Amino acid sequence: MKPLTNWRWNSVRGEYETGNPVPIEGTGEISAVDAFANKTMLLLGGTGFVGKVVLAMILDRFPELKCLVVQVRRKKNLTGEERFYMEILHSPPLRTIVERIGGEEVLRKKVQVVEGDFNQPLCGIPPGAIEQLKDKVDVVVNLAGVVDFDPPVNESFDTNIFGTEHLIELAQLLNAKLVHVSTSYVAGKKNGRIPEDVSIGYFPFRDADDGRHFSVAEEIRWYETFVDEMRQNRAGDQRPLRERLREGGMNRAEYWGWTNTYTYTKSMGEQLIARTPGLTYSIVRPAIVESSLHFPFAGWNEGFTTSAPLVLMGGDGVKGWPVRNGPLEIIPVDLVASGILIVTAAVLCGKNKRVYHLASADENPIMLPRLVAFLGMNSRYKHKHKKSGSRLANLWKAYVDTHVITVESLAARRARVHRGLDVIHAALTLGKTILGPEKVGPYLKSLRDTRRQIRQQEVTLDKFLPFMFHNSFIFETRNIREAARMLTNEDLKRVQWDPKIIDWADYWVNIHTKGIEKWIRPVFAGRRG
Amino acid sequence: MNKAAFYDLDGTLLSCNLVTMHAYYARNDRSLIKSAYQLTKVLLSVPLFFGLDLYSRSLFNIFSFRAYRGMHRDRLIGLADDLFEVTLKPSIFPRAQALINTTSELGYRNILVTGTLDFTIRPIALHFGIEEVICNRLEFNNHIATGRVLPPLLAENEKARSIRVYAAREGIDLAQSCAFSDSSADVPMLSSVGFPVATNPTRRLRRVALQRNWPILELREASSTFPPFLKPAKAS
Repeated sequence: MKPLTNWRWNSVRGEYETGNPVPIEGTGEISAVDAFANKTMLLLGGTGFVGKVVLAMILDRFPELKCLVVQVRRKKNLTGEERFYMEILHSPPLRTIVERIGGEEVLRKKVQVVEGDFNQPLCGIPPGAIEQLKDKVDVVVNLAGVVDFDPPVNESFDTNIFGTEHLIELAQLLNAKLVHVSTSYVAGKKNGRIPEDVSIGYFPFRDADDGRHFSVAEEIRWYETFVDEMRQNRAGDQRPLRERLREGGMNRAEYWGWTNTYTYTKSMGEQLIARTPGLTYSIVRPAIVESSLHFPFAGWNEGFTTSAPLVLMGGDGVKGWPVRNGPLEIIPVDLVASGILIVTAAVLCGKNKRVYHLASADENPIMLPRLVAFLGMNSRYKHKHKKSGSRLANLWKAYVDTHVITVESLAARRARVHRGLDVIHAALTLGKTILGPEKVGPYLKSLRDTRRQIRQQEVTLDKFLPFMFHNSFIFETRNIREAARMLTNEDLKRVQWDPKIIDWADYWVNIHTKGIEKWIRPVFAGRRG
Repeated sequence: MNKAAFYDLDGTLLSCNLVTMHAYYARNDRSLIKSAYQLTKVLLSVPLFFGLDLYSRSLFNIFSFRAYRGMHRDRLIGLADDLFEVTLKPSIFPRAQALINTTSELGYRNILVTGTLDFTIRPIALHFGIEEVICNRLEFNNHIATGRVLPPLLAENEKARSIRVYAAREGIDLAQSCAFSDSSADVPMLSSVGFPVATNPTRRLRRVALQRNWPILELREASSTFPPFLKPAKAS
C-alpha cells in the first residue's frame, strides 16, 4: 500500500483534497507550545501501539519540550537504553520521524532512557535515577497496561492495579502531575450515553441497587485469597493454573458487570487514582484504538486487541455477523495521540478535567451493519483473484455477501457447522479403515485444521460480542472538544481533535483494512505458524 | 513558476467504457439474484447509451450518472479497488505510465482532469502515482446516490474553466503547461495550455490537431515517440 498522506477527505466540501487542512480557530486559553516549553515529561509505556505514536508525535510536533524521559523495560539481554535506540527507534512509526527531526544525535540530547518495570515499586526506576528526576519531572504520562481481554487474573492485577499504585507513588515522590491512559470500556455492561466522570465504588451494575457495594480494597483481598486457593488447588481442578486464573478473573469481572478482566482491573486502577488526595491528574479513556489516519503515516497499526482480529476473519470469508444496529466506538491512533497531548497540555496549564473520553460516535458515528458490509467487500476482493485454495470455497467467499444475524441464529449456525464436521469426520474415519491411512490421512488433517480455525474464530467473536451485540453505547466527548477549542491557533496546526473529518467509508476501506492486511496479518500468520 | 501536465483519462491513458463499469457494479450486487436483475437492466440500456452518445455528449453524461441512483456510497468505495483490478487495469495503454513518468521527471505537476467519478479515480491515480485530481463527484443523500452529479459537471468547456481556476489557485503557469486528450470535446482544455498534445486522437481531433499544428501521440503503440518538448535536452 502506498502511503496516502496527500489525500484527505474534506467532508465540508465533499471531496478529496491534497492541500492543507482548513484552519480551525482556537480561543487560546491553553497554549500547548508554552505548556511544553522547557518542561520535562516522563513517559511510561512508550513502547506499545499507542505509546510509540505518542512518542513520535511529541518529538515531531513539540520540539519545545526540554527533556523527555522514557521508561523502557529490559528485555532478555537488551538493556532499556539498547532497546530504545536499537529496537523502538527503528520501528516503522518512529523511523521516518527520527530522520525528520535530525537523527539519533538530536534525540540523544533530548531523550533520557530509564530502565524500569511497572510491576515493581516506583515502577522499578532505579533509586539513582529517581534522585536525579526528583522535582525535575513536570508531568508523568502513563500508557502502560495489560491490554489482553482475558489474561490470567494475576497478570492483570499486577500491572493494572498494583502497577497503578506504584505509578501514584512515583508521581507523588517526583511531585509531578499525572496523565493516566485507561479505556472507555471501564463503563462495563451499560447502554446509552456514558458520561465523563470517575467515581469511587463504581461498578456497572450499581444502578440495579441490589445491595452490593464495591471497593478496591475488598477486591484486592478477594484476589489474594483467590490466587492463594488456586495455587494450592483446593478445588482439585485438573486444568492448568493459567487457565483457572484466567477463568477466575473473567467470572469476577462478570459478577460486577464488567465485560472482561481488562476493563474490570482498569476501572479499579482509575478509582485508585481518583481517591488519592492532592494528586493533580487526568484520566484519558480512548475507545477501541485503530489504524492511523495521517500520522506517522496512514494505516499504521500494531494493535492486536482492536478490531484487527475481526477484520482478518472477515477477510478470511466469515459471512454471518452478530451485530446490533448501533455504533462501533473506534478511534484512529493518531487522534488518540493528539488527544493525549492536548490533555497533557491542559494538565500542565492547570485547566484540566478529571476524565476525557477519546471516541468518535458522539460526533461522527459509524454503524456496525455498515462495517459488516465492508468486511464482505474485502472478502470479495481478496478471494476473487485468489489462485490458491479450493476453487469452490473461493467462489463462495467472493460472491456470497456478509449479513447481519442474531446471537440465537449464531448459536444454531455453530451447532449446524459442528454437526456437519462431525459427519465428515465419521465418514473419513470409516474411509480410513477401508482405504487405509495413506489415502484419507491428508483429508483428516485438513479437517482438523478447519475445525481448529473455526474454533479460533468462535473464541474471537465471543470476546467481541459485548462491543458488537450485547451493549450499545456512546461515549461523551465534550471535555476533549472543549480542551481542543481552548488551544491557540499555532497549537492547532500541530495537534487536532477532529473525528468529524473522518470519512468512515474511505477510512475503513482504504486506510484501516489495508493497514491491517499489511501490518497485522503477517504477524498473526507468524504466530499461528 | 510551476508548470503542470493535465491528463484526460478515458481514451487517453486507458480505454475504460462506461457500460463495462456499470456492468461491473451490477454483477457485484449484494446477492446473486439482485446482480442478475441489475445486469439485465444494464444490458437493456446499452442501445440507449449508444444513441445518446451520438446525439449529445452532455445528455449522455447526465444519463450515465443516473445509473448510479440508489447505490450505497460504501459499496461504490468498497468495490473501487476490485473494479480497478478487473476492468480498468487491463485497459491501460502500454505507454501511459512512461508518459506520466517523463512529465514528472521534467518537473511537471501531473494532474488528472476527468469526468470519471472520484472513487473510481482513486486507485487509478495511485497506480499512476498522480496526486492531483480534478474530477466529478456524485451527490449522495444519507449515503445513497441520488443519480445526480455535484455541480459543476466536468465536461467540455467546464474542464477548461476548472483548470484555469485550479492553475490560478495553485500558481501554475498554463503557458508552460501541457495537456493530453483524445477527444474533440476537450479542444477547449487543450487550447488553454501552451503545449497541447492530441493523444490517441479521434478522427475529429486529429483534423483539429493537424490544422493547429499540435503534436499527435499514440500511447496504444509501444513504439510511439513522445513530442519534442518532452525531450530532456529541450526542456532544460
